[in-house]
Amino acid sequence: MKNIITLFSFIIVITSCDVVEGPYLIDDGGITPADTSSNTYVKKVLIEDFTGHTCPNCPAAARELEAIHDVYGDQIIGMALHVTTGFASPWTGAGKFEYDFRTKWGTDWDNFFGISNAGLPRGMVNRTGYPNDHKLGKNEWLAAVITELEKEFDFGISITTTISGGNGSITVNTELLNDVNGNYNLVVCLTESNIINWQKDGQSDIENYEHNHVLRTVLTDEELSTSSSYTLGDEIETPITINLSALEQYNIDYSANTAINGNGNAGGWDAANMSVVAYIYDNTTKEIVQVQDAHLMNE
Amino acid sequence: MIKKISLTLTAFCITIICFAQDNSGEFHGDFDLNMQSYQEDELIGAKAADEIILNNAYLNINYTKGNFAAGLRYESYLNALLDFDDDYKGNGIPFRYATYKIDGLEVTAGNYYEQIGSGLIFRSYENKGLGQDNAMDGVRLKYSPLKGVYLKTFIGKNRTYFTYADGIIRGADAEVNINEALNFESKTKIIVGQGFVSRFQADINPKFKLPQNVAAYSSRLNIINGGWNYSGEYAIKLNDPIGSLTAEGNNYANGNALMSSLTYSQRGFGIIAEMHRVDHMEFRSERAKEKQYIINYIPTLTKQHTYTLLALYPCATQPEGEFGTQVDVFYKIKKGSLLGGKYGTKITFNFSNIRGLEKGIKYDIDNNEVVEISNSFKNDYNDFTPKFFSKNGELFFRDINLEVYKKINKKIKATGILAKQSYNKDVLEGKTPGTYGTVESTIAIADISYKIKKGHTIRIELQELLADGGEGSWSMGLVEYTISPHWFFAVQDMYNWGNHDVEKQLHYVNINCGFLSGSNRFAIGYGKKRAGIFCVGGVCKEVPSSNGFSLTISSSF
Repeated sequence: MKNIITLFSFIIVITSCDVVEGPYLIDDGGITPADTSSNTYVKKVLIEDFTGHTCPNCPAAARELEAIHDVYGDQIIGMALHVTTGFASPWTGAGKFEYDFRTKWGTDWDNFFGISNAGLPRGMVNRTGYPNDHKLGKNEWLAAVITELEKEFDFGISITTTISGGNGSITVNTELLNDVNGNYNLVVCLTESNIINWQKDGQSDIENYEHNHVLRTVLTDEELSTSSSYTLGDEIETPITINLSALEQYNIDYSANTAINGNGNAGGWDAANMSVVAYIYDNTTKEIVQVQDAHLMNE
Repeated sequence: MIKKISLTLTAFCITIICFAQDNSGEFHGDFDLNMQSYQEDELIGAKAADEIILNNAYLNINYTKGNFAAGLRYESYLNALLDFDDDYKGNGIPFRYATYKIDGLEVTAGNYYEQIGSGLIFRSYENKGLGQDNAMDGVRLKYSPLKGVYLKTFIGKNRTYFTYADGIIRGADAEVNINEALNFESKTKIIVGQGFVSRFQADINPKFKLPQNVAAYSSRLNIINGGWNYSGEYAIKLNDPIGSLTAEGNNYANGNALMSSLTYSQRGFGIIAEMHRVDHMEFRSERAKEKQYIINYIPTLTKQHTYTLLALYPCATQPEGEFGTQVDVFYKIKKGSLLGGKYGTKITFNFSNIRGLEKGIKYDIDNNEVVEISNSFKNDYNDFTPKFFSKNGELFFRDINLEVYKKINKKIKATGILAKQSYNKDVLEGKTPGTYGTVESTIAIADISYKIKKGHTIRIELQELLADGGEGSWSMGLVEYTISPHWFFAVQDMYNWGNHDVEKQLHYVNINCGFLSGSNRFAIGYGKKRAGIFCVGGVCKEVPSSNGFSLTISSSF
C-alpha cells in the first residue's frame, strides 16, 4: 500500500501546469513600435498572406495580420495574394464573388513555395524557413515576426515616386549598412488597399468586405546588382517607369486568357489606394532581408 | 543536421558492431516501396506530376540482443506521392532508438511511440497510409515496482515531417491491476489508470496572457466480469488558447472528453454499447492549430468499413465537439438450424449516430458580430459550455448497417450488407455550412467467393450506392482471382453513373496484380482514383484524384 501511495505522489509531483485567469487581454503589451517616420532605417517584415475571396477561414488570417500590425506598427508590411482555382476564381452569374483578384505572380509564387497545397489561409513571414519550414499557419506568424524583428539588417531601402495621370516613375534606393557578400534580388510590386468587394467570412458572404494590401502587379524581380560583393555605404538606385493602365490591362488579360476559370474582371484599379512594396531577398535562401513600402501617390 | 545524422549513424553502427561480435544478437527489418506515375486526366481532375514518377520508400532495421534493442528507419520521399504532404521531402533517418530492460525498468532513448489510455490526451503513432507520424524524440522510462503496477514517464518533442515541434511534452501514466496488486482473487477484475501530459511552450504573445504549461489529465477504469466488460475514460485539457493576437482566436475554455463502453459476449453472441462526448479536446505539441502538431487521438465511434462504397463517405472525428453513440450486435445462427444451414450464419448489426454539441451564442469582439458555436468557449467576452446531453445537436453522421455472412458449401462463401448512411459533408470535410449539406445514401454490397479448385479462388464484389447529394449514385464491381500462395489478379470498376454533372459520369477502372514469394510481395497496378476522403480510425485526410501506374514492393527479414 505504501508503495502505491509513493507512486501516486510521484505522479502528482509532476502535475505542474499553468491556469491563466482573466482578463486575458493585457492592455499594454509593453511593445513600443519602432519609429518608422524618421530617416533612419529600421528592420521591416513582410507577411505574405495567401488567401482567396471564397475561402471562409481566410479573413481570420487577415485579422491576425492586422493585429500584428497594430502591435508592431509600420515595421509590419502585409500583402494579400489571392490564389487557387477553388478559393480565388471568380463566380459566374451569381451576383457575388465575380471579381478576379488573382495575378500571374501570386500564382507563380504559390506554385514555387507550395503554399496552398498545405491549405489556406497560410503565409510566409519574410519567406524564412524555406524549403521545409516556410509555410506558416496564421498563429505561427507572430513567433516568426518576433524572430525577424530581432535580426540584424544590412540593407536600407527608400522609395520615391512621381506619378501623374497613371504614368510616372518609381525610384528604389538601396543603401548598404554593412559589407555584404551574396546574391540578392530586388522585387518591386504594387498593392492596393480599401478594395470593397465580396468575401466569404465563416458562414457569411460579406458584400462590403474591405480587401487590403492586395497584390496587383510585380514591376521587377531582378538581381540587385551584377556583383555579389557589397560595401558599406554603397547606394544602388533602381529606377522604374510605370504605366498603370498597361499594368492593369495585363491582369485583365491574364484573368481572361490564362487563369483557370478566369473572366477578365480584374480591373478597376484606384491609384490613390495603391502602395509600392520593395523588398530584397537572398537568392540562395529565398529569405527576405529587408522590405519597405510607400504610398504610390504623394498626397 | 547531416553531421548530426552521420554521428548518430556512426554511434549506431559501432553499437551494432560491438554487439554483433559475439554473434548472438538478431537483426530484423522490413522494407516498403510505393511508386506511382501521374498522368493528367482533366475529366477526373487528376494532375500530372512534373517528376512523372513519385516514390516513397521506408526501411526499418531493428537489432535485438537479450534485453537490449536498437533500431532505425530510413525514409525516402523522392518526391512524396501526391496524397502525402509535400513537407515530406528528401531522404533521412528520422527515427532511431535504443532501449534496454533491467530489473523491471525499461529505458528508451531516441525515438519512440507512446499512448496513454485510449489516446484522449496523448497518442504518438505512425500510419503510413495517412501520412501520419508524430513520433517522439526524447527519453522514456517504464517501471513495474510491484506486481500489477505499471508506471511510465516520458519527455520529448514530437516529430513534424523532418523536424520537431517547438513544444516540450512531458507525460506520465500509472496503471494498476487491482487484483494483481492486492493479490486478490475474484471473478471481477478491475484495472484503473491515471495519465497526465503537459506541454511547455514559451509565451511570446504581447497582447494576451497565455499559459506556458498546458496540462491534460485522464482517468480510466476497466471492469471485467465473465462475459461483461466495462471500460470508461474521462479526460480534461486545461486552458489552451492558440496564441492569436485576436480575442476571437484565443479560446481559454477547458476541454474534456468522456468515453464509455459496455460489452457483453458469449459464444455466438456479442453486444457492444458505446458513447463518447468530446468538447474542445484537440491537443497539440504547439499552440498553433495545425494538423501536424496533433498529439492526441479520439477514437471514432463508427464502424470502420472496408468495402469501397461503404467507406466512400467516412466519419472523421470532430475533436472540437461531438456526441456519439454506437451499438454493435453480433449473432451466430447455429449450425443445423433452419436459417443456420450446415455451417451456421453470422449476422452483425451496427448503428452509430454522431451529433454536434448543442449550439450557443458567442460575441465576436474583433468582428463585432454574434456567431453560433457548439463547443466550450471562454475569453474576456464569452463563457459558454454546451449541455452534456446534446441529442438535438446537428447531425454529423449516422450509419445503420446489417451484415450477413454465410458459408454456403465447401466452395462458396458469401457476404451481404445493407446500409443507410447520413454524411454531413460540410462539417466532416470542413466546408462552409450550407455548401453541400448532408449526403443521404443507401448502400448494398454482395461479396461472393468461389473456390474453383485447390489454390484457385475467384471472388466477386458487387456494390451499389444510391444517393442524391454529393456525387450522386455509384456502382462498383470487382473480380479478384487468387492462385495461392503466389499470385493474385484483380479488376475493378467504379462507375459514378448518378453524378448530376453528366460530364462527370465516369468510370474509374483499376487493374492490379501481385506476386508473393516468401517474405517478398510485389504488386503492380494501373488505374484512376477518385478524389476523396481516406480515414483510419476517424483520422482522415483528403486525397487527390490520380491516374497512372503503381508499383509496391514489401519485404521483410
